[in-house]
Amino acid sequence: MKIRTVVLLFLLSVFVCPVVDAVESPTAQLKPTLKSLTDLLADERLKGDAHRDERRAKIMKAIKVGFDFEEMSKRILGRTWQEISTEEREYFTHQMIKLLENIYVGKLESYSGQQIDFLEERVKDKRAQVTTTIDNEGVKVPVHYILNLDDSRWMVYDINIEGVSLVGNYREQFKSILRTDKFSGLIKVIEEKNRSFEKGQASL
Amino acid sequence: MRIRSCSAIPVLLCLWGFLLVSSLFAPAAVAAAATPDLLLEDEYGYDYADGQGADEIADPLEPWNRVVFVFNDKLYFWVLKPVKNVYAEALPYDIRGCIGNFVNNLASPIVLVNTLLQGRFSDAWTVVSRFGINTVLGVYGFGDPAASEFAMPPPAADFGQTLGRYGAGAGIYFYWPVFGPSNVRDTVGRVADYAANPVNYLGLNSDEALGYSGTAFINRMSIAPDVYEETIKYSLDPYVAIRQAYHEYRNARIQRGGTEGNE
Repeated sequence: MKIRTVVLLFLLSVFVCPVVDAVESPTAQLKPTLKSLTDLLADERLKGDAHRDERRAKIMKAIKVGFDFEEMSKRILGRTWQEISTEEREYFTHQMIKLLENIYVGKLESYSGQQIDFLEERVKDKRAQVTTTIDNEGVKVPVHYILNLDDSRWMVYDINIEGVSLVGNYREQFKSILRTDKFSGLIKVIEEKNRSFEKGQASL
Repeated sequence: MRIRSCSAIPVLLCLWGFLLVSSLFAPAAVAAAATPDLLLEDEYGYDYADGQGADEIADPLEPWNRVVFVFNDKLYFWVLKPVKNVYAEALPYDIRGCIGNFVNNLASPIVLVNTLLQGRFSDAWTVVSRFGINTVLGVYGFGDPAASEFAMPPPAADFGQTLGRYGAGAGIYFYWPVFGPSNVRDTVGRVADYAANPVNYLGLNSDEALGYSGTAFINRMSIAPDVYEETIKYSLDPYVAIRQAYHEYRNARIQRGGTEGNE
């Protein structure tokens, strides 16, 4: 009887301890973020152009729980980040968050209830990859989220759809613009793009 | 139509049998399509240095390609999109879907050859089964009961991908008039796939062939999502955005073989 209790306790300690100690897995943290986003997008009360601003505000609030836009901005800018002043960094990040918000939320809004499956996760030190598929009329499109461990929170800093990395794509565009127009030119292009989104917003 | 389909039937039946048997013994080919490890290369490492190791896309023709890019952009917004819109107005979505199915069904021998060349035997088996099911139950391939009733989504395979899987490099980047992004490897692949298309052997005259290709092209545009317009809208340098996306998309296709998720 006693031995059985000891064995049971031992087994319990083996199974329970790592769960208690460790940070929640990247998948476990990403799931509720995506869930809250898909819920917002499916919410009938938030649909239509009349509720656009309210919907965007709510989506942005939900995204910031699990997505690190500042990290994205840094990674997109690359080496130039080291060469600019603190004020320039602040302004750049501010403009980038606006840009990424327009891009990412704009893309999210085309979501219409497709099923998302979580396939696999990989953790390497402080980085992780969560592989999902989104079902698009029977064709399963692979979407990988790349996360970074920030304190005890896994934050997404890149999204890879069908092999195409969001950060990598903007990074290459920035490189090409930086080559000819330098940092000041790049900032102008970003401001211009953000303005075009605002105009689009006004005309809707 | 006097097609060579009569003599093709026993050949197809033999293939079917062969694939049925081989698919039982080829789990290794299926296992190869695991999820890619995107953490391997942290090219955007913590010092945010430019990824020296990252593969650069060879684009010595960039100035010329950018001219073609502008041309295609005008072609898209001034010609193709209006044509597509009229076409989409005239035909309901379901019918356009059926036309798309028919075109894809006719092209399935190309996919079959490429899956076989790539050693993807279970996909090859799927292609043959789909062709059989859709041609008979889907009324000459206009319907896609294989996908809707038998849960067999179409595998994708092309000759550019086959070349890539045998180790061929991409070569320099091309932006073709009308067709858009490509490279040396995929251009060769495209030409080969086009030449192998059974439609070319139906004895159509050049006008009919052009009509078929044109309809297939516009039809595909009308049912595919507007990736091009999206990219233009969300990019700061659309030329670079498309070049990069094409490169990464093709590499991913070559690495995973295009079967992920539908094991």
